[in-house]
Amino acid sequence: MRNGVLNKVIAMFWRLVRGALFRQKRKMLMIAFTVALGASLATAMLNVMLDVGDKVNRELKTYGANINVIPKEASLLDDLYGVSEGRGVSDRHLRESELGRLKTIFWAFNIVDFTPYLNAEARMSGLDEAVRVVGTWFAHREDLPTGESLDTGMRNMKSWWSIEGDWLSDGDTDAAMVGGLLADRAGLAAGDAVVLESAGARRELTVKGIFEAGSAEDERIYVPLSVAQEMTGRPGLVSSVEVSALTTPDNELSRRAAQNPKSLSVKEWETWYCTAYVSAICYQIEEVLTDAVAKPIRQVAESEGTILEKTKLLMLLITILSLAGAALGISNLVTAGVMERSREIGLLKAIGAGNAPVSWLILTEILITGAVGGAAGYFAGLGFAQIIGRTVFDAAINIKPMVIPLVAILVFLVILAGCIPSIRLLLSLRPAEVLHGR
Amino acid sequence: MTKKSMYFKMIASALIRRRSGMLVALLAVAIGATVLSGLVTVYFDIPSQMRQEFRAYGANFILVSANGEALGAAEAEAAVACMPASEIIGIAPYRYETVKINEQPFMAAGTDLAEAKKTSPYWFVSGEWPEADGSVLIGQEVADVIRLLPGSAFTMTGTDPQGEAFSRDFRVSGIVQTGGTEEAFIFMSLADFASVMGDGGFDVVECSISAPQAELEAIAARVTERAAGVAPRLVTRVTRSEGAVLTKLQALVFLVTAVVLLLTMICVATTMMAVVAERRGEIGLKKALGAPDGSIIAEFLGEGLFLGCMGGILGVLFGFGFAQIIGVNVFGRAVHFQAALAPATVVASILVTGLACLIPVRSATEVDPAVVLRGE
Repeated sequence: MRNGVLNKVIAMFWRLVRGALFRQKRKMLMIAFTVALGASLATAMLNVMLDVGDKVNRELKTYGANINVIPKEASLLDDLYGVSEGRGVSDRHLRESELGRLKTIFWAFNIVDFTPYLNAEARMSGLDEAVRVVGTWFAHREDLPTGESLDTGMRNMKSWWSIEGDWLSDGDTDAAMVGGLLADRAGLAAGDAVVLESAGARRELTVKGIFEAGSAEDERIYVPLSVAQEMTGRPGLVSSVEVSALTTPDNELSRRAAQNPKSLSVKEWETWYCTAYVSAICYQIEEVLTDAVAKPIRQVAESEGTILEKTKLLMLLITILSLAGAALGISNLVTAGVMERSREIGLLKAIGAGNAPVSWLILTEILITGAVGGAAGYFAGLGFAQIIGRTVFDAAINIKPMVIPLVAILVFLVILAGCIPSIRLLLSLRPAEVLHGR
Repeated sequence: MTKKSMYFKMIASALIRRRSGMLVALLAVAIGATVLSGLVTVYFDIPSQMRQEFRAYGANFILVSANGEALGAAEAEAAVACMPASEIIGIAPYRYETVKINEQPFMAAGTDLAEAKKTSPYWFVSGEWPEADGSVLIGQEVADVIRLLPGSAFTMTGTDPQGEAFSRDFRVSGIVQTGGTEEAFIFMSLADFASVMGDGGFDVVECSISAPQAELEAIAARVTERAAGVAPRLVTRVTRSEGAVLTKLQALVFLVTAVVLLLTMICVATTMMAVVAERRGEIGLKKALGAPDGSIIAEFLGEGLFLGCMGGILGVLFGFGFAQIIGVNVFGRAVHFQAALAPATVVASILVTGLACLIPVRSATEVDPAVVLRGE
């Protein structure tokens, strides 16, 4: 008997809800539409915000390498005075064959590019002083120990170079690229021939391109690595490797670790090792390359951190603004929607409905509408996020599942916040007054 | 006259009597205007604010001598005078000479250390930056080779450019790590440098200027023209990359702003439409009493104008407050108030509000008042 009444009450409740949803189609559609707009805004902004760090980090790779790997005990005499041979210079090198191991470290996925250099001195036809010849990979395909292959090389890492002529490829063993300042002094242009002489061997190369780097490199000649190895008689060896890695901005822990990794407790050490700090990546590079020292190039590594943090914070604040805007917008409309129904509520109360059922009725109606709108808005938001990602970064924004509960909770809370005060207000009115229209 | 006063009376009474509905509408317009003015202010301020942050990459402009000799102080000053003073982050002149410590050769650099700290913010100094006379910064390489720690003393020997031998004691105040060639240098103040090497010109002047590449090129052209003997060069690695990354960031903020604005404006419009649609009965009644469509539309537009104006003004205030919060929290600097933005925000809110009013009012006026009044 009781059951029968309850069932009838429930059936009536749903009939009222359905009635409101279908009869007041326009109004409910409006609410659903606004919730959808707000939800899509929240989805797009949250997805973009959560992915912006990674995307900007990749953009910052245009600044070039942030890690320099040199052999242990190599001195900087070479860089400073151009003294690369003779007394006081340690003749140490890294092995070219080991370079593939860079992609086997814990943070292998974060290593974007790397390129080796082998320095040599040579006499150039038409010039008195010796010039620096550097062998490197231009666009090299490296087969990795993992069975995959990787395209890397200097071309990716020196995006700011402006080239007159063409980039070299690794197969051009009879060609070279000459720095702008050196080319001016020697009167070279793209297409000219240049004779290099070192350790008694002569080599004639064609100038394929002349580059402007805006730094010391403008005084150098770049040739494929194999050519430099032949010229110096150091097959399979390289003098340094530049690595471009995606890193996490430094904090207190990573600074302590950079000073001395042994000073950390076991737990701290694990945290440090498993975070993509530049110092941790350096440490892991030293683990896989024989007798190597990996040093962060602070000019790039440090600045990347600063800019990443600023960008993330900026996006976070913009996201908060737009979320607040969306939340206020939705709850505002919901309030308007409820206030409008004062007559209906007055009528329900006049024919004997209690406060609780009336509140539940309105809440259920609006939550169902909101859920439909929210779901539609979520997918629209994914679309907006992808438009932003494609247009700005030429890459898809990673969709984070975490956004779904966030948006759902946001929409739910916002609808409650919009409904409850207005329902309370309406319930406090006397039915006769409401029905009377004032 | 009476018609006009009746018009205003109706608008005023609509605003005052229908408090809750109008408040909802005003709030919606104010939110939209806040988002608009806040985001657009941020958008316009981003390039200059971010450009300052990009100065973390160090010098983007260097001055060297055009004739291969050292750069005189007067020449350097003439060149610096060609730069916009407000955009200069730091200008650090450098002199280099070879010196010996324990009979091993090292490169000593004399510079304005306070300026060097500004042009090269990425230097990591363990210990202190030198303050007193006779204290120096040494690179990590130098510290490793001769085993010096912050606080230890050493003797520097060598010959000055005139060929006279010198010997002077220095104290290490800090060790600098950069990961680059600076680690093999010894940095000291220009005064200390002059005390052992004598007076002389600069080898290079590093400048960190917060300006885009095109402007730097213009500065370079001015320097070449006005400061004879000075050869300005752009550090292309820094300037080009900065241009590339900044363009992306600006495009990001632009698109985000566009999407947020579009959605917010639609949101404002739907709320306005809901508020106005509620008053179909009122419109029907007015029509039944003989009011022409035009005057009804004018009345609602008047209300919309008022709401848009008020909401816009509120939005300008809140929006600037929000932009200021971003500026202070993210960049640690105040943002500039874009004067042109204030009227633009108010006009935009009036337009959105007006359009949003117009749609439901028109649909209500087109219907027969009897049908509207019956509540269909």
